[in-house]
Amino acid sequence: MRVVIADDSVLLREGVSRVLADEHFEVAAKVASADELLESIAAGAPDVAIVDIRMPPTHTDEGLVAAHTIRRRWPDVGVLVLSQYTETEYALRLLEGGEQRCGYLLKDRVLDAGQLASAVRRVGNGEVVVDAELVARLVDRPRHGSLLDELTAREREVLALMAEGLTDRGIGERLFVTPKTVETHIRHIFAKLQLPEGAADNKRVHAVLTYLRT
Amino acid sequence: MRAVRLLVWLAGSALCVGMARAVGPVDQPDLIKHRAIVYFATAFVGLTIGVLVWERRPDSRTGLLLTALPFVEVLSQARWIFWNHALPVTIGFASMSLYAPVFAHLILSYPTGRLTTRLDRVFVAVVYAYATTSALLFLLFFDTRAPHDRYEIECWDCALPLTHVAWRDVHRASHVLDLTLLVVAPAFIGLLIRKLLRATPGGRRIELPLSIAAFAAVAQLLAHFALNGSPDSPWTDTPWFWISIVVSLAVPLSLGVGLFFGRRARSAVADLVVELQRTPPGHVQEALARTLGDPSLELALWLPDQASYVDSRGAKVELPAAGPHRAVTVLGSSDSPVAALLHDPALLERPGLLEAAAAAARLALENERLQAELRAQLSELRASRARIVQAGDDERRRLERNLHDGAQQRLLSLGLALQLARAELGAEANGASSLLVEAEDELRAALDELRELARGIHPAILTDQGLGAAVRSLAERSSVPVRIVSLPGERLDESTEAASYFLVSESLANCAKYAHASTVRVSIARRNGNAVVDIDDNGVGGADATRGSGLRGLSDRVQALDGTFLLESPVGGGTHVHAEIPCAS
Repeated sequence: MRVVIADDSVLLREGVSRVLADEHFEVAAKVASADELLESIAAGAPDVAIVDIRMPPTHTDEGLVAAHTIRRRWPDVGVLVLSQYTETEYALRLLEGGEQRCGYLLKDRVLDAGQLASAVRRVGNGEVVVDAELVARLVDRPRHGSLLDELTAREREVLALMAEGLTDRGIGERLFVTPKTVETHIRHIFAKLQLPEGAADNKRVHAVLTYLRT
Repeated sequence: MRAVRLLVWLAGSALCVGMARAVGPVDQPDLIKHRAIVYFATAFVGLTIGVLVWERRPDSRTGLLLTALPFVEVLSQARWIFWNHALPVTIGFASMSLYAPVFAHLILSYPTGRLTTRLDRVFVAVVYAYATTSALLFLLFFDTRAPHDRYEIECWDCALPLTHVAWRDVHRASHVLDLTLLVVAPAFIGLLIRKLLRATPGGRRIELPLSIAAFAAVAQLLAHFALNGSPDSPWTDTPWFWISIVVSLAVPLSLGVGLFFGRRARSAVADLVVELQRTPPGHVQEALARTLGDPSLELALWLPDQASYVDSRGAKVELPAAGPHRAVTVLGSSDSPVAALLHDPALLERPGLLEAAAAAARLALENERLQAELRAQLSELRASRARIVQAGDDERRRLERNLHDGAQQRLLSLGLALQLARAELGAEANGASSLLVEAEDELRAALDELRELARGIHPAILTDQGLGAAVRSLAERSSVPVRIVSLPGERLDESTEAASYFLVSESLANCAKYAHASTVRVSIARRNGNAVVDIDDNGVGGADATRGSGLRGLSDRVQALDGTFLLESPVGGGTHVHAEIPCAS
């Protein structure tokens, strides 16, 4: 799998690149800004672009803006945004560009080679990745008289994995059940939370995250 | 200048005396001689008042014009008195028509001596042109020795003007010029009425006596014209002679009375003294404006500390340059002024009134000045408080950025290096490897703490995405369930967003710590240019903003932005925080 890495810190760029090389990725380019990233993709499309959310010149959300540009211009290139913030708002903004080939991962994950590699691979394969810590916080937040109380423990597990962007098959593999069972769980969850049926198909991560945060 | 005025007065007086005496040798009845004395005495009075006004107000042209008026009158008589000398006859003809334009100029430009409107300027210019034309007519073509002249003088030893060119019958032209007076005089009255209507009440009070005299003069002229077919009244016509004497005395006298005696002014000042006792601070300007009859009057108070003038609200005032529309009177000595009055220039005609009013208002002004000083300091204090809050926010933002871009990046690279080290060591050194794993765990915990610390200092999401997103993020993290009622969809100004955010953040933290609440409602709405923030919980209440630094600091922050902060927390009745913060945009 070919990847490009965009981060304005040279130490991190090199570190991440080495971790990914060890995991048998082909690092096609390492760049320091959003503009250079777009140039390098134009020169030769990678499978996944790994983008730091804070980049020059303003160090705010350049990475997210670049991610939107990439997803619009090169729909086949996956985008994994590495972020310092566990903010649902940013993850939702990324998902607004469509629920495929994108991921919002906490930057600390670069310290866990396995997690990082799996996230890059999933994005490269067209899946969605939402950082587990962010999802866990949303699922576990205290609620008062919520429909979530109606869910069984297993259904809550399925809901969290769904929010992390896993496919039915991915959820099944994690929970050691058949995709068919997962499908049933998901149908129940949607019914209990009174979520619209249509959202189950291609907008379910956004729907679930939005539900969890309100 | 004083010498010039003295010289003018001496010359004028000499002229009056000389002319009055010169009437003697002429073979005329006694009647004429007596009237000549009365006539020139009147001119002398006018001249003297004119020079005095000029002396008193050298910067106004009124004195000069008032002085010119009797001069013109006296000189024009030279053509009768020295009828057989060419020079006096020339001077007499040259000045005989000048009375009307000088008169119109004087009246319409009173009290500043400047014609303020375009219409006035055009009118006076037209009248000067009229006078010049009519003088030229006589200077160039009139000949008393010519036959069949309408004046039927046929005076063979009369002198011709030095400028005489040829004889023409000026009778008809002169009559037409006389008739134009019937248009010019009503036009003048119209302009005078317009001037009175436009004046401030104080200005009108000053202009009125002279205006009445002017009305009388014009009425006299028109009446004479209507009855006798000519504007000039000869000395032989007894009633008209006395009427014209009274009218020509009325003009300088009405002006002199206004200038030298100020009875009405004194009673107005007495009223002011009484009124000022009831005047609340900040309203001395209105009281002075009423007393001086100038609603446009502005009071500028001198602040020695700032070396500048301020208005009663404490805002800086620049004194305008004195002009035809605005005059400035500085009260107090010039090196230590108390205040300055910006007013209608007409009031300068009554310097006594201005001074008396200022003296009466002196204590009140001193008081007013202290108040203005206090207000200026308060507004400065408020501004500096807002600046401090702003600087604090900027500093927090900078700190947050530095933590993310500095410490966090370094810790992450350190973590990556540790990972590489572990990979290099491989399976060979089990002990070292487990130590490295431990170090990495510590590092992860440090990164988590650092992230939360940066968030608490100033969340990036507030700067990037605004108040709505940042408050939603707070709600996600709150350990008490939060119900968001409303959030602004648009961005507000930085300070308002920060104050609202920290208000919600601190309230939610307090709620989690002390309130034992099961739910908390948050609402931020934009109303009447304010961000209205409400945070209500259903907990045990009993919170006190004066205790603990958290809420106290928030109340200070809100007030620094000129907002209001209200905390209601009855025991057992939940805690309600309400704040209204003005939005800068």
